[in-house]
Amino acid sequence: MADPSNPGRNEVTARRRNAARLPLDGWERSLLVLLVLLVAGLCLSVDGFYPGFAGFLALTENFLPFGLVALGLTTVILTGGIDLSVGATAGLSAIVMAELWSGLHVSIWLAAVVGLLAGGVLGAVNGLIITRLRTEPLIATLATSFIYASIATALAGPSPPAGFPDAFNLIGTGTLIGPIPLQLVLFSVLALLFTLLLQYSTFGRRIVMVGYSSEAARYSGLRIDRIVLSAYVISGVMSAFAGIVLAAYYSAVRPDMGDVLLLSTITIVVLGGVSIFGGEGTIAGVVIAVLLLGFLRQGMLIAGYSDMVTTMLTGAILLGAIAIKNILSGRGTGLAALLTRIRGRRPATTGSAAE
Amino acid sequence: MSYAAAETAPVAAGHYQATEVTKTFGSVSVLRGVSLTLRPGRIHTMMGENGAGKSTLFKILSGLLRPTTGELRLDGAPVAFSAPHDAHQRGIYLVPQEPALMPELTVAETMFVGQLPTRAGFPRRVDWPGLRRQAQQALSSLGLAIDVGQLARHLSIAQQQQVECAKALLRGCRIILFDEPTSPLTSHEVERLFGIMRRLRDDGCTLGFISHRMDEVLDISDDISVLRDGALVDTVDRSGFDRVRLLSQMVGREMRVIPRRTASFSTGRPMLQVEGLAHAPRFHDVGFTLHEGEVLGLAGLVGAGRTEIAETIFGIRTPDAGHVRLGGDEITGLAPHAIIRRGLVYVPEDRARHGAILPMTITENITSGLLDRLRQRFGLIDRNDEDRTGAAIVTQYRVRCAGIDQPLRQLSGGNQQKVVFGKWMGLQPRVAILDEPTRGVDVGAKDEIYELIEELAKAGLAILVISSEMEELVRLCDRVLSIYEGRIVAEIEGADITPARVGQSYLSRDGLAA
Repeated sequence: MADPSNPGRNEVTARRRNAARLPLDGWERSLLVLLVLLVAGLCLSVDGFYPGFAGFLALTENFLPFGLVALGLTTVILTGGIDLSVGATAGLSAIVMAELWSGLHVSIWLAAVVGLLAGGVLGAVNGLIITRLRTEPLIATLATSFIYASIATALAGPSPPAGFPDAFNLIGTGTLIGPIPLQLVLFSVLALLFTLLLQYSTFGRRIVMVGYSSEAARYSGLRIDRIVLSAYVISGVMSAFAGIVLAAYYSAVRPDMGDVLLLSTITIVVLGGVSIFGGEGTIAGVVIAVLLLGFLRQGMLIAGYSDMVTTMLTGAILLGAIAIKNILSGRGTGLAALLTRIRGRRPATTGSAAE
Repeated sequence: MSYAAAETAPVAAGHYQATEVTKTFGSVSVLRGVSLTLRPGRIHTMMGENGAGKSTLFKILSGLLRPTTGELRLDGAPVAFSAPHDAHQRGIYLVPQEPALMPELTVAETMFVGQLPTRAGFPRRVDWPGLRRQAQQALSSLGLAIDVGQLARHLSIAQQQQVECAKALLRGCRIILFDEPTSPLTSHEVERLFGIMRRLRDDGCTLGFISHRMDEVLDISDDISVLRDGALVDTVDRSGFDRVRLLSQMVGREMRVIPRRTASFSTGRPMLQVEGLAHAPRFHDVGFTLHEGEVLGLAGLVGAGRTEIAETIFGIRTPDAGHVRLGGDEITGLAPHAIIRRGLVYVPEDRARHGAILPMTITENITSGLLDRLRQRFGLIDRNDEDRTGAAIVTQYRVRCAGIDQPLRQLSGGNQQKVVFGKWMGLQPRVAILDEPTRGVDVGAKDEIYELIEELAKAGLAILVISSEMEELVRLCDRVLSIYEGRIVAEIEGADITPARVGQSYLSRDGLAA
């Protein structure tokens, strides 16, 4: 069956792995260019945005908790699911930690570990509801977000604990090796770990397979339920971690402290190029999106714009970015498919097939 | 066709003529110059194997698809449709195999969707009593007693088809095409449908019909056209009906001796033993033994339960009763991952949904079944080892591609299938179940797939092949089991495996006795 007219075959072994699976490899690069332009623009035009290197880096402390949640949420979205309980999980985990510390006089460090475990348990509850009860992730995590938030409010009481030990507060505000915020170090290490986990490990490969097609993954002998469950556990732990970092940053907890996390992190993940239908996306894209939206927000606030304006701008950027992505790729979040449908479905014609 | 030219003169109402109609999807040619005429007062049946182009032809005739080339003429005048609605206005209606009536509307409403009768005045109001009356009339004119006030979701498939017939009449359509309506129906329901079809025919309507089932085709048809590989083989009227001849025309190349492998599987050890396997209501009491190096075929009509049997053996479905043993070990009720580990793999029929992940790369698809066997460091995949594995399979199975990182979706159907084969054979299984292994594979690549299957069997793999193509079964199989409505009705061995014999064996519950 040798076919000399086909030169491709002999080169097969020589070909290096390329970005064929990620047709939007350029997406991360475009985001990066945008980030550099944005930061440069803000440095030049907004007084106080660059008060020196240390001050500039310290800005990240305001938004890195979003990044922590985004890492976990990316795992879930890659499987084709969604976790709407990230905010409630962050709030409840932080409250659990704070109550253990103030009420039961447990060491704050041990309490923090229990808080992380609590996040894992809350994530496992989400995962079990989704896999065992065959519930839509959207509905399941919406419901648990209400439940988690109510439990947090009940646990917190009228005056939630505050004034944690200084050593603990350093997680949110401390620096390492000179001016580098501890938060930034933690986020960088975790981002690297998630990159390895999701893009280079067998676990990550399975996550992506489930995200592209859980049916095909099942016929390939993957244990879908296990994989999906672990994604929600990871999301729960990362949310709890974000809640604990926020607690350390403010040296206080509130049951609703996680509420701001949800919509912003979904924005980050989608802007980072992760397909809401699962399978497609990179941690690099998400990390760049964290920095892009974070610096934008901080810059606008420093320049004196109200929160309303920055939020509006965030919405506009999200819409614009996704529209561009869909127009360029012809697929992705499904908007493009909708557009072609609106334009009128044409039956396939001879020879025009691009594939 | 030669007689096409003679009919350009005006003809009586209800003549629907296709001339040299072709249809291609991308580079695949589905219809190749088909010319035929449907006439009023006659039932004209299309016969042919799966993929012969029957449904595509009906979709073109009913405005769902546009022909790539060729012409349609209605009573001598050329017509072109951009949507089924256009065809309805010209009096042409397609009754689908499984009509999609809107489940939450009443029967009367579904019959008038898009053209509700209104009363004069402002605002225009729907004439509900008139709608019910007209709907009921249309149904009774066909001798049907379906309550038009009930919700459509309460109707059986047979009743939905009947409602579709009435819908066609309400829209004034006199040319009615039935796309394989009988395959989901029971024999009693088929009789009812045929009653309606005869009534319409005697009323002067022009009817088109698709079916595989020889008995019912000979019973109901006035004309029969046989299609094969997208081309019209022959059109005959009642005087020319001949069961054997039609069968050989459908299968084709009957005179050619199909090369058959000659294996001595009988010496092989039993690898897969199935006993009394059942999964109501899809199949009952299925039992067989598959030997090392044997290729065993499962023949049957679409919907006979063959895929369900395979999926139950593979652990996707849980059986109600029965046992499956793999090399002597009980595997009944295990999950797919456990069954795969014990050496049984399944290549599903629907490659895009079950068999492969088309947006992922060739290598990623190949290694998706053997991630645990790749070299790893701290759970991280050794990409060099993965690339070597992928490249080895690509070379061994002669996959034509630009590189191992090409997304699978960019390959042709045949090469995609080779990748899926390679993915599973990389595991060195003992038993492989291949469900329609050449579905969506172009003719040239089919032979390559056949050669692959033969090589694997020679190397000792026990193979169960599900196929709706008789030629495929004849070429590949040492033994063929015929399935009819979820039961094994015949077993054909060795030289008895001929297209005619296999083709006839699964058409009734009596197997070869028919």
